[in-house]
Amino acid sequence: MIKGTLGKTANTVILLIAVLVLNFAMIHVAPGDPVEALVGEMGGATTEQIAELRAQFGLDQPLYVQIGKYLWNVAQGDLGYSYYYDQPVTSLILDRIGPTLLLVTTALFSAIVIGTVLGVFSAQRRNSLLSHLVTVLSLAGFSAPVFWIGIMLILLLSVAIPILPISGMTSSEVPEGTFWYILDVAHHLVLPALTLGLIYLAFYSRLSRASMIEVLQTDYVRTARAKGLPRRMVIYKHALRNAVLPVVTFAGLQFGQVISGAVLVETVFAWPGLGTLAFDSILRRDTTTLLGILFFSALMVVVMNILTDIVYRRIDPRIKTA
Amino acid sequence: MSAPLLSVRDLEISFRLGTEETAVVRDLSFDLGEGETLGIVGESGCGKSITALSLLGLVPNPPGRVSAGQILFQGQDLVGASEEQLNRIRGNEISMVFQEPMTSLNPVYTVGEQIAETARVHFGSSRAEAWDRAIEMLKLVGIPSPEQRAHNFPHQLSGGMRQRVMIAIALVCEPKILIADEPTTALDVTVQAQIFDLFRELQDKIGAAIILITHDIGVVAQMTNRVMVMYAGRKIEEGPVAGFIRDPRHPYTRGLISCIPRLSMSPSDMPDPLFEIPGVVPAPRELGAPGCAFAPRCPHAMQRCRVQDPALSRIGEGRAVACWLEEEVAA
Ligand SMILES: Nc1ncnc2c1ncn2[C@@H]1O[C@H](COP(=O)(O)OP(=O)(O)OP(=O)(O)O)[C@@H](O)[C@H]1O
Ligand code: SF4
Ligand SMILES: [Mg+2]
Repeated sequence: MIKGTLGKTANTVILLIAVLVLNFAMIHVAPGDPVEALVGEMGGATTEQIAELRAQFGLDQPLYVQIGKYLWNVAQGDLGYSYYYDQPVTSLILDRIGPTLLLVTTALFSAIVIGTVLGVFSAQRRNSLLSHLVTVLSLAGFSAPVFWIGIMLILLLSVAIPILPISGMTSSEVPEGTFWYILDVAHHLVLPALTLGLIYLAFYSRLSRASMIEVLQTDYVRTARAKGLPRRMVIYKHALRNAVLPVVTFAGLQFGQVISGAVLVETVFAWPGLGTLAFDSILRRDTTTLLGILFFSALMVVVMNILTDIVYRRIDPRIKTA
Repeated sequence: MSAPLLSVRDLEISFRLGTEETAVVRDLSFDLGEGETLGIVGESGCGKSITALSLLGLVPNPPGRVSAGQILFQGQDLVGASEEQLNRIRGNEISMVFQEPMTSLNPVYTVGEQIAETARVHFGSSRAEAWDRAIEMLKLVGIPSPEQRAHNFPHQLSGGMRQRVMIAIALVCEPKILIADEPTTALDVTVQAQIFDLFRELQDKIGAAIILITHDIGVVAQMTNRVMVMYAGRKIEEGPVAGFIRDPRHPYTRGLISCIPRLSMSPSDMPDPLFEIPGVVPAPRELGAPGCAFAPRCPHAMQRCRVQDPALSRIGEGRAVACWLEEEVAA
C-alpha cells in the first residue's frame, strides 16, 4: 500500500520533470525570445545592450544549464519573474487562477449535473422528444466552434437584447460592498459560463445517455427488475451508480485540463483568467510566464487525476484493491 | 383436480426484427403444479429463456412482446398486468436464477445488500432484520462464513459462489415458483452437482415448484418430475420424466437422448461423443414457414411433414407429441 503510493509519487515527479524539460525545449526551439520582444517594445537597442539583456536573463548559457537552473528554481517553488508584468510568475498565476476556476467550475459543474439528468431521462425513453433534443443538442455542441457559439450569444444577449455585459469580469460603476461585487461578477459570468457550459453540456448529456442505455441492458439491471424492485430503485440505485462512472472519469480529465479548456472562451470574453494570461504571454514571448502556466496546468492534471481516483474508488468497489 | 399454480395458455412471444415481427415462441401451453419440478429442454435459441422471462413480464420491450396468450398465476393473468402488480410477484412469488452468474449481480453493491433489499422491498423488513435474513440465506445456500461474505462485492466471489448468491436472492422471499435458467452452464462440473443438490434440499425445505431449463438430459432425469421439449419456439413433446427417458417419441427427442453418453456403458459401447443431430435450428426468420420445423433435419420426414404442421396429440398418461409419425402409428 505504502510502497504503491511511493511508487506513484515517484512516477508523478518524473512525469512533471519530463513535462518541464519538454516545454522548455519546445519554447526554446520556437522563434523569438523575451529579449527580442522587449527590445521591440523599447523601440530598438544596440547589439551590446541586447547581449547584456541576454546575459541578464541567462539566455546566453547553454540550453542544459538553463533547464537545470529552471528545474532547481521550480523545485524551490519559484517559477521565475515576468519582466513584462513586472511580477513573480507564481503570484501572477495565483492572481489569475481564481477567475478561471470560477468560470470553469460553474460551467463544468452545471453541465455535468444538467447533462446527467438529461442523459438519464432520455435514455429511458429513447424515442421521446427529450431524447431527440439531446441528440440535436450534442451534435450542435460538437460541431460548432466555441468562439462561434460565444459570438452568437454575445450578438443575441448583449447586442440584440442588451441584458448581459459583453466582456470582462467586473464593471467600473458599481456601488460599494461585497454583495454588489458578487452580483456584478455573476452578471459578467453568465455569458462565458453559458458558452463553455453548452459545449460541456453537449458532451455530458451524450455521454451519460449512452452510458445509461448500456447499463439498462445489463444482466444486473434485469436481476434488479426480476427481484421486483420498484422502478425508481432499479434506475436510481442499480443503474445510475454504474452509469455515472464514465462521467466521473471525464469530469476529472476535463477539470484537469481546465486551463486549455478556458483559453478560447476567456479570450473571446476578455475574462481575466489563466487562459487569457497564457494567450497574452504567447503573443508577448513572455516565455517565463508561459512556462509557469504550462507547469501549473500539468500540476492541475496530476492533482485532478488523484482526486478522480479517490472519487472513483468510492463509487466502484472493484478498484479498491488495485 | 384443483387449478394448477401456473397455467400458460397459447403463449406467443414476438420480436421485431427490422420491419417484420416474428413469433419466436408460438402456441405454447403448459401447467405447473405446486411443488412440482418441470424440466424444459431444447437446443440453443429454441425460446427457453424468453419463455422464462415472459413469466416475470421481463421480455425486453422493444423489440419483444408477448403477442398472444395468457399466463395465469394463481388465476391472475400476468400478460397485461401493470408493473406494480408484477413487482408484487417478481422476486416474491416467482423468482428466477439466470444463465449468467458472472454478470447478474450488481458490481457496486455488496452481496448482502443485494439479498437484503429484496426482503426489505417485499416484506418491509427493517435494515437490520433484512441484513440478518441475508446472512441466514447465505448460510442456507452453503456459503462459508456468511457474516463476512455478506460484506463482499461480487467480484470477490467465484462463479459458483455468485450463483449461490443469486439463488439466495431468488429464495429470500420463499417464492412459490423458482425458475432456474441453465443455472450451471457457466460453472464447472463439481460446482454443478453442488448447485443441484442445493436445489433439491431447498425444494424440500421451502416447497417451491421449480422450472428447470437445461440442455442436459442427465440433469432432467435426476431433477425433474415432468419434461417439456421445445423446438423452434414450440412444444414438441411433453410427459412424465421416466417414460420420456425410456421411450422418447419425437424424432428430435430421440436424437437428443441418444446423444448422451451413458455412464453404465463401457467405453467401447459409447456412442461417438461428437454425435449430434445433423443440421441446425431454423433461424428466427424461417419460423412460421409451413410444415414441421424439424423436417429439414428429420430422418423420418414425409411428404406431409413439409406442408402441414403437426398438431400436438395426446398419447396417454399425460404425454403429448407433435409429430405425424404418431398419427401414422395410430391409424
Ligand atoms: N433481445 C432480443 N432481440 C431479438 N431477438 C431475441 C432477443 N432475445 C431473444 N431473441 C430471440 O428469441 C429466440 C429465443 O431465444 P432464447 O434466449 O429464449 O433461447 P434459449 O432457448 O434460451 O437458448 P440458449 O439455450 O442459448 O439459452 C432466439 O431465436 C432469439 O433470436
Ligand atoms: S412431423 Fe415429420 S418431420 Fe416433423 S418430426 Fe415428425 S416425422 Fe419428422
Ligand atoms: Mg437461454
